[in-house]
Order: sequence, then C-alpha cells, then structure tokens
Amino acid sequence: MSLTNDKFLNISNSIKNSYLEEWKNNKKKVLGYYCTYIPEELFYAAGLLPYRIRATGHELDELADIYMVRFTCGFVRLTLDLALRGGFDFLDGLFVTNCCDHARRMHELYDLVVFKRKEIKQKPPQFYVALPHVINEDGFEWYLDEIKLLKEQIEQKYNLKEIDNSQIKEAINIYNENRSLLREIYNLRTLENPKLTGSEFLQISMANTSVPKEIANNELKRILEIIKNSKDLSNNRKRIMLIGSVVDNINFTKLIEDSGAIIVSDFLCFGERNILDDVDLNGDLLENIAKRTYYRMSCPRMMDDHEKRYDFILKEIERAKVDGVILQRINNCDLHGCENMLLEHELKDLGIPTFNIDREAFLTDTTRLQTRIEAFYEMIK
Amino acid sequence: MVNRKELENKVIPYKILLETLQNTYDLVDSILLDNTIPSLRIGLKYLIQIIEDCVEKAGDGLPVVGHHFAFQSEYLDCFDLVPVCIEGTSYILSALLPDGIEKYYDLMRNWGHPFHTCSSQKGVMGMTLDDLFRFDAIICPTAPCDNTMASYPYFKYQANIPMVLPDMPFIHKEQSYKYYAKQIKKALEDLGKIIGQKPDWDELKKHLEIDNKSINSQLEIFELKKAIPCPVENFYNAMSAAVTVFMAGKEEKVKYYDEMLEIAKYNYRKKKHHGGEEKIRCIFPYMLIFFDLGLCEWLDRELGMSILFDIFNYNFTKPIRTTDSMDTMFYDMARKGMDFPMMKQSTDFYYNFIDDCVNLAKEFKSDCFIFTMHIGCKQFGSVVQVLREALRDEVGIPVLMLDLDVGDKRMTSMKVLRDKISLFAQTFL
Repeated sequence: MSLTNDKFLNISNSIKNSYLEEWKNNKKKVLGYYCTYIPEELFYAAGLLPYRIRATGHELDELADIYMVRFTCGFVRLTLDLALRGGFDFLDGLFVTNCCDHARRMHELYDLVVFKRKEIKQKPPQFYVALPHVINEDGFEWYLDEIKLLKEQIEQKYNLKEIDNSQIKEAINIYNENRSLLREIYNLRTLENPKLTGSEFLQISMANTSVPKEIANNELKRILEIIKNSKDLSNNRKRIMLIGSVVDNINFTKLIEDSGAIIVSDFLCFGERNILDDVDLNGDLLENIAKRTYYRMSCPRMMDDHEKRYDFILKEIERAKVDGVILQRINNCDLHGCENMLLEHELKDLGIPTFNIDREAFLTDTTRLQTRIEAFYEMIK
Repeated sequence: MVNRKELENKVIPYKILLETLQNTYDLVDSILLDNTIPSLRIGLKYLIQIIEDCVEKAGDGLPVVGHHFAFQSEYLDCFDLVPVCIEGTSYILSALLPDGIEKYYDLMRNWGHPFHTCSSQKGVMGMTLDDLFRFDAIICPTAPCDNTMASYPYFKYQANIPMVLPDMPFIHKEQSYKYYAKQIKKALEDLGKIIGQKPDWDELKKHLEIDNKSINSQLEIFELKKAIPCPVENFYNAMSAAVTVFMAGKEEKVKYYDEMLEIAKYNYRKKKHHGGEEKIRCIFPYMLIFFDLGLCEWLDRELGMSILFDIFNYNFTKPIRTTDSMDTMFYDMARKGMDFPMMKQSTDFYYNFIDDCVNLAKEFKSDCFIFTMHIGCKQFGSVVQVLREALRDEVGIPVLMLDLDVGDKRMTSMKVLRDKISLFAQTFL
C-alpha cells in the first residue's frame, strides 16, 4: 500500500472535490478564508464548512492584475484571478483577517468586485476580525471581544438561533482530533527513516482544509494506517526543513525533494505551524477558541514573537535531525522576507546550512531553482 | 568621561542632515530670488533649528529614541530625549543628498533585507548596521503595513535595541480608540522605564497644545487651495510632510504654518499661481516622490500643474482636548494617531479612502489624480484600480499610476516618470 494516487491526497490538486459538492448538495454552507488565523471551530459549530482558499494549479493572473499591482503577492493574485473567473462561486461567505497586507485587502476586492459579478445571485456575508500584531493580555482581551462579536454576526447573518456550547464543544473535539491525527502523521516524517515525504504531507494538509473535518478525520485515520504499514523511505537523502511563505503547490516541494532531499520538517502555514496547538475543553469554550487562535505558534505577522518562532525552529532542527534549512518567500512577501533575513543570520551563526530563496507563487524558472538547490545540497556535509 | 563629540556621534545621520539643511538653505538664500518657493525657505529655516536642537541634546547625553513616523514626536515630549524619526530621516536625506542614502539601502540589501521592502526603514536600518545611529530605545506602533511589522524586529533582534510596540487596531471604531489610548499610555510608561525617566504629563500637555495651535492655519491653507489658481506652491506639500514628522508639538511648526498662511492669503487675493498659470489641478492621494522633489517645481512651472495636496496634507484631526481629563487626552491622542496620514487609510477598509478621494476631487475641482504606487506599500496595492473606477464613474477624471520606490531613484528612471506625466498632462491641454 502506498499514498501514490490516493483519493484523499488528490483532493489537494483541485479546488473543488466530491465531499465539498456533497456538502453543498445537502444545502449546507461553505465559508472561504485566506489565513490560518481563523477561529475555525466557531464556524464549524455554526454548521459552516471553513474552506481554505488556495489556487493550486492555477497559473493565470491577468484578471487579478487589473486590481492588484505588480508589487503584490503572487499567491493572493492567483486566488483573486481564480475568484474572478468563478472558481470560488461556491462560497457562501468569506472570512478575512488582517493577516498580511495582500490577503486582508481581499475583503474589499471580494466585496466590490468578485461578489458583484453578475454570476453571483446573492452577495454572501463577509466577516472581518481585527487581530492585534503583538501577543499580550491586552491584545487577547481585544481579540476575545472581536470573537464574541463575530459569533453574534455569524448568528445574525445566517439567521441562526444561537451557536450553543454543545455545538462548540463538538466542533472543538473534531478539530482537536484532526490536529492530533495530523501531528501523528507529521511525526512519521521526522523519523530517522521517514515514512512519507514533505510533498505527501503537504497534499494531506491541503486536502484537509478543503473537506468537512469529520470526513477528514476518517480519511486521516485510513492514511495513517497506510503510512504505518508502508516501507521506510530511503534515508540517504539530505534532510531538509522548509520555512517561509505559504506553499500551496507540490511542484515546488517536489523540486526540492527530487533534487536529492526529503523535507522532514517544515514551518509553513499549510504545515506544522497550524497543527501544534489545540483548544482546551475546560472552562469558557469561546474564550478557549480565541486563546488557541491568538496564542498559537505565530507567523511573522506577529511583530514581537520572533524569539519563540526561532526557538521552536531550533528544537525542530534537532528533533527531525535536519541537515539543512531552506528559507523561501514568495516575491513581495515582506513578512517572510524579513523573517527569513533574521533567520538566515541566526542559523548561519550556529553553523546550520541555510539557503534563502525568493520564488514566484507557481513554479517558474525551474532549472535555475534546481541548480541553486542542488548546489546547496552539495554544500551540506 | 564621555566627551560631547562622542555623544553627538550617536546621531551621526542627524549631523549629516543638519549640515545638508544648512548648505541647502545657504544655496536657496544665495541663488533663489526673494519669495521664491517660500515653503522651502521657511521650512528649511525651522528644520535647521529642530535638528540643531536634537544634535545639541544628543551632545548633552540625553537618550536617543527612534520612533516610527506614525508615533508622533510630540507624544515623546513627556521625556527629555532626542527623537529620531526613522522613516522621516531616510526620506529627507533621500531628498537632500545627491545620491540619497543609496549606500545604506545597499548595505541593508546585502545583509538580506528584501528589495521589495520599504526604503523608509531600510535607510535607517542600514545606518544602524553601520553604527551611525546608536538608539537607546525605539517606539513603533504596530501599523500601518507589513513593512513596519517585518522590518522593525531587525532593530530588536539583531541590533539589540529595546523596543516598545503600542498595538494599533486594524479597524476604526469607538473601541479601537479606547484600546489604542491605553496602548499609548502604557507604551510611554514602558519607554520611560527603559530610558530611566518618568513621563511628565504636564510637559506632554504643553506640547499637545502647541501642536493644536497649528491646526487652524493648516485648515485655512487647505480651504484656500479650493481657489483657482491654487495659491500655494507644490513644494508646500513636501515641506509640510517634513514639518509633520519633525516639528510636531514645536513652536516652529506653528510659525511655519502661520507664515505660509499669510503667503497663501496674499496669493489668493492676487490670484497668483506659483508657476505663472495654473493649467491642471491634480491630487496626489498618496505620497510625493521624495528622491526628486524637484518634480514639484517642474510640475508648477513646466506643466502648470498644481498638486493640491498629497497624503500628508488632507488628513486633519480635531485638536486634542488637554483640559478635560487624562483619559480624554489619551483618547484624542489615539484618535489623532489612528487618523494620521497613511494610518487612517491603512488601518481600516479602504471604502472611506475612496469616498474621501471622490469628495475631495469634487470639492477642489481636481482634473486628475496621480497615484505614486510605492513598492513598499502593499496595503495600497489593491486600491488603485478601485479608486480609478470610482473617480471615472463619479467625477469623470482619470488616474495616472506610477510604479516606483519613492525613496530610491534607481528603481525607475525619473525621465520616464516625467515623460509619463507629460503625456498624461497633454490629454488635458
């Protein structure tokens, strides 16, 4: 048994999937979101399917170029292009937070352009939460108020009586189980003889954000069994940790792995960063959801948390016996660009082989990239 | 014992700036005819006094505190310190020195700072890397953009400078002002602990009141710009940006605007246009091009194009209430901070920005807009086309967008930019 051509992993290759269609056929609603800073459990408790917007496989951005200048993020531009071509017309709502300057403006562009297209019969509700850029008690209080307000808005906009505690508890249970399963799978990458590649994990993780979590959990259990019973992967490849901007396409990770390495660990938002923390089931559940979202392992949009991220990365390098680190950013991503700058100096000072690259959102310039990556592997002892 | 020279060397770029300002002032005084580009002449005179004072204070051994341009320097007047505006320093030197501060941009780029990240921070980051600035602390609101969020950690984690980060919410509502008010107060208290001083709220009040005094003159000048021809030269906008970030809370700011108001009134009465004849009325809804402020004069004189205002010259807030209570004062400071140029537009949805532009275009009878799309400002990267459509549909005027780095001339040829503007202007003439 192997993961090759597995039906769940294949979900990651397309925007829609059969589970999503079934959900829609049952008259249930889908809510699109851009960034992992979302209280997903709350939406799920309200009967919505939170669907992470991505543009896997889409390589056109002419329509998006009308509305976004060339200095903006290629990933967000591709998703906007796809949205303008009707790729996300199945959405019944949109959640945006001020995660980064590129994605946060999707609130306005969906409102003023995407949802105003003639194909959209009724404009879906939009939700926005202002997330602080520092992590402290004051910030949490602000954020909790925002989440309470969000709950009211969800109830009001979808005409729900009330999202009650039992629904929230059920959603938390499902999501905690989901993260726990993903962590179990993730840990099989970090073994001395890994059981799956980084590209495979990325596929699992992307698919996981595109289907209802109960279904995902069943699939993850099935996949876990397959992986456990599969042969070890070759252990003579360089062990790489991949860090940086969003990666929603295995073409890039495959390029890294096909050049003579295996991505045994990552610090990506479609990867480990989003599965580390669970929601506490004791006490005020809404507050616990807010706590998890706010205090979770951060990305560089949190301005005062670099130290924690750096410490985590160092521990992960040790735990996964990483030979070298690839820092990457999508062009024009200032947040990861500057974070990578700091990490590059810090890691190199410790003698950890580190390679810092910028790239387009979809894979271009393959030969140049491959040559540089191979040269980096040569440098690793 | 540390000597005065050594202490002054904590702010070497300010010493360079002072010398450059003095040389420029001498040049202006000896070459230009009397009353030519009055904003330049008056602004330089007061800027010299301000920067001189900073260097003097550095020599006295006062702590050097870097601040983001959106944490207004008058808020720091509750301490005895040397305020250094990080973004303002990069761009005023870009404007004044022949090759700007390219050397420090390159230094920082070579260190790994991405090419697409804002030059306003890159410059002072490079100067700090080169040990030209030795900050005792830095204070920075968590706004308005990714560049702020991304670049400032360099000062903390690599240059080991203590940093205070008042958190500014990315939405404008009553609750936001209250939250940010607390953040400002706490930030000032935290900063005080770092530099070993207690905030003097009476002194803060005094400077807030001084700053309040300049608002009426600013508003009057703004009103006068509705007249045809515009009675203020284009350069006034550039100098006002410098005045806003370097002179906040100072008597020099009040004097600058009072003197400019008198000149504007005179020109208004005489229907006098700085360039001779006003042919086109234009709004720069965003920034000017700092590495080539000569563009202001060129537009006035060559094209007869008035820049009615840029982003630093159409955002006004009510005076801060200093006599009610401390809470009211901090609330107003928060409101002013969140409505500060660029903050207002960046920390909220851009619907209000679009509405403001449409209304200003109508009120000021603008013929067109020129949007300087600065490479650093990703938060505006999705705005231009929506603005273009709104102005086309509601006012019937066009927008020219210029892709550039407003602080680094090497990204785009200035000739190409001027050619684009000339071609754009021809469509009106």
